[in-house]
Amino acid sequence: MLVFAISDKGGTGRSVTGTNIVYRHALQGNDVCYLDFDFGSPTAGAIFSVSGVSRGTRENGLHEYLRAECPQPRRVDVWAESDREGLRMRPPGAGRLVLLPGSEGGGELSALTDEIVGRCVQLFGRLDEEFDLCMVDVSAGRSFTAELVLAATVRMPTVPFRWLVFHRWTRQHIIAADGLVTGADGLLDVGTRFGHDADDLRDRIRFVRTAVLEPDASELVGLRDEQRAWLSACDSELRELAGRHGVGRTAMLGKIPLDPVLQWREQLITDEDVLASKIANAETAAAFDELAKKIVDDNAWEGL
Amino acid sequence: MLVMGEVHTGLLQNSGEISESTCRQVLAITAGETVRVSRRPIVHALSPERLTGVDCALPAASRSRVRGVGTVVSRCVVTGGRVAQGSSYVRVVRSEADRRLPWSHYLARPGVVEVLGKAKAADLAEGFTGDPAPGCLDLGAVSGRFLDLVQGSPLLDRLAPFKMSRTSLRWVAETGEPSIRFTLHSEQDRTLRLTHPGPFTPAVVDLCEDLATHDWLLTSLLVIVERARIGSTPGAQAAARLTPAIDHLLHLWMPAARVEEWLTPFWDSLERRPGFTRQWHSLVNRVRDQIATNTLALLSTSTEPGRR
Ligand SMILES: Nc1ncnc2c1ncn2[C@@H]1O[C@H](COP(=O)(O)OP(=O)(O)OP(=O)(O)O)[C@@H](O)[C@H]1O
Ligand SMILES: [Mg+2]
Repeated sequence: MLVFAISDKGGTGRSVTGTNIVYRHALQGNDVCYLDFDFGSPTAGAIFSVSGVSRGTRENGLHEYLRAECPQPRRVDVWAESDREGLRMRPPGAGRLVLLPGSEGGGELSALTDEIVGRCVQLFGRLDEEFDLCMVDVSAGRSFTAELVLAATVRMPTVPFRWLVFHRWTRQHIIAADGLVTGADGLLDVGTRFGHDADDLRDRIRFVRTAVLEPDASELVGLRDEQRAWLSACDSELRELAGRHGVGRTAMLGKIPLDPVLQWREQLITDEDVLASKIANAETAAAFDELAKKIVDDNAWEGL
Repeated sequence: MLVMGEVHTGLLQNSGEISESTCRQVLAITAGETVRVSRRPIVHALSPERLTGVDCALPAASRSRVRGVGTVVSRCVVTGGRVAQGSSYVRVVRSEADRRLPWSHYLARPGVVEVLGKAKAADLAEGFTGDPAPGCLDLGAVSGRFLDLVQGSPLLDRLAPFKMSRTSLRWVAETGEPSIRFTLHSEQDRTLRLTHPGPFTPAVVDLCEDLATHDWLLTSLLVIVERARIGSTPGAQAAARLTPAIDHLLHLWMPAARVEEWLTPFWDSLERRPGFTRQWHSLVNRVRDQIATNTLALLSTSTEPGRR
């Protein structure tokens, strides 16, 4: 299964959420890989705490691979190469956790050629033979990278794929996330131009809300009643807005609560962060864990 | 001088094994040429061979620049309707000319790469099975693409019963005092050094493909057994994880079935050490025991008096 992670805006939480989902999926016993297709700023290595590739790799990055400058892209075994002690051992029962870093200083794709699409098809096809889940960070907004993966998936009709659109829980983000899917030059528009069936593609897209602060969250305990009432009103207004924009509950795969650790640092939330050092919230880890299950649960992906 | 080749092996991307006739269609990669199929003791299908022209550096352990010009022979293989391979090789010979000749010359010698200038066979053999410098002749890239050709066939449903890495076997064959050395490098990479009596024949390629098939089977079974976590997960769960091996792999073990008589001593030697079949049988027994114990446990709970 290929999963494409996209957001309309930058800084949404796409990379942090995507990497944490992949990590949880590996802990659940699956072989997973994470492809950093955010060619402009390939920083997934930092989230996995692999310092050698924190800003991409100098050699054999995905960018070079797509431009046919190296035969195969580099693979980083996170269980072996992470600098974080808590990650540097594969827990019993966990699957493989592999990062394919982007190229350091690679830059955005500047054009889409048939050859690049062919290389991408080759890469996806081979990884799908090997991994239960391949998460691709497609970067933010409308880009050649998004077009690339739309073009590639048309050419491999039997390889299952899904899209996750990440957005924050604000007015602007909700409207933008809808626009990215249904607007001009959005996923459906470009996808159908490349030969996808609009309804089929639509069914493969779900939304994920990031850094959500629920009105009843424990963080808000110290607030005045007036403040809490105001937040509550905002929240229901947003829910109504999301519903109108097709970003509502039915199209949502899950939401990740605002977490103090993630607010300060882009990282994986391990069970140790929750149970031993207690710096992260248990709800955050549980939300990642649940999303990691839902991503392959066909019930959560039935037609809308 | 020497022959070098590389075989990539993977699980055919289909839910079940494919029939002989589907094999024929999947492997019909060149119009008008037939797929060769043998049925006993296991269905084995070979695509027509194709040539790829090359003019590039050959890998040398000394890192000296050795230029080779000629063609690579490649083909796809499907064994038991279940295991797919892309396989390529070249026969490296000294060129009689000291410059590149017209392509017609090389096309008349399919599968031959001529070395322009000086080169030592041992240097090339070491270079190819060692750590080839980037930009050198990359038979793995060619074989990988041929395997892609099979795996991407529209006749396959791509619903493979389990995920598994491809393995790569890089081999070098020379004429001389018989010897064989099989080495595991990373989880996916293997090399084989073979010295055989008499001149090279394509039967050597068959041997290497057969070895690669069995090494992949063994590697895959090891992975499946590891994933089942026998002993640390409930019996039923472990048994469920082992079933794909029973359904799809166990019957495929037929070492040396397609290897010519004069080459079977090489297989025999690998059977003594590292002992492929010994390890295979011990794993197979483990799988069967686990399933049997689980079945017994199920039976006894369902027949225990007072428990319905
Ligand atoms: N659940 C969360 N709670 C609090 N902060 C979060 C949460 N998720 C992400 N963040 C923070 O939001 C910021 C942006 O996240 P991230 O880098 O994952 O976004 P992105 O969409 O990948 O951005 P870019 O488009 O720049 O790649 C980071 O500082 C991250 O730690
Ligand atoms: Mg990012």
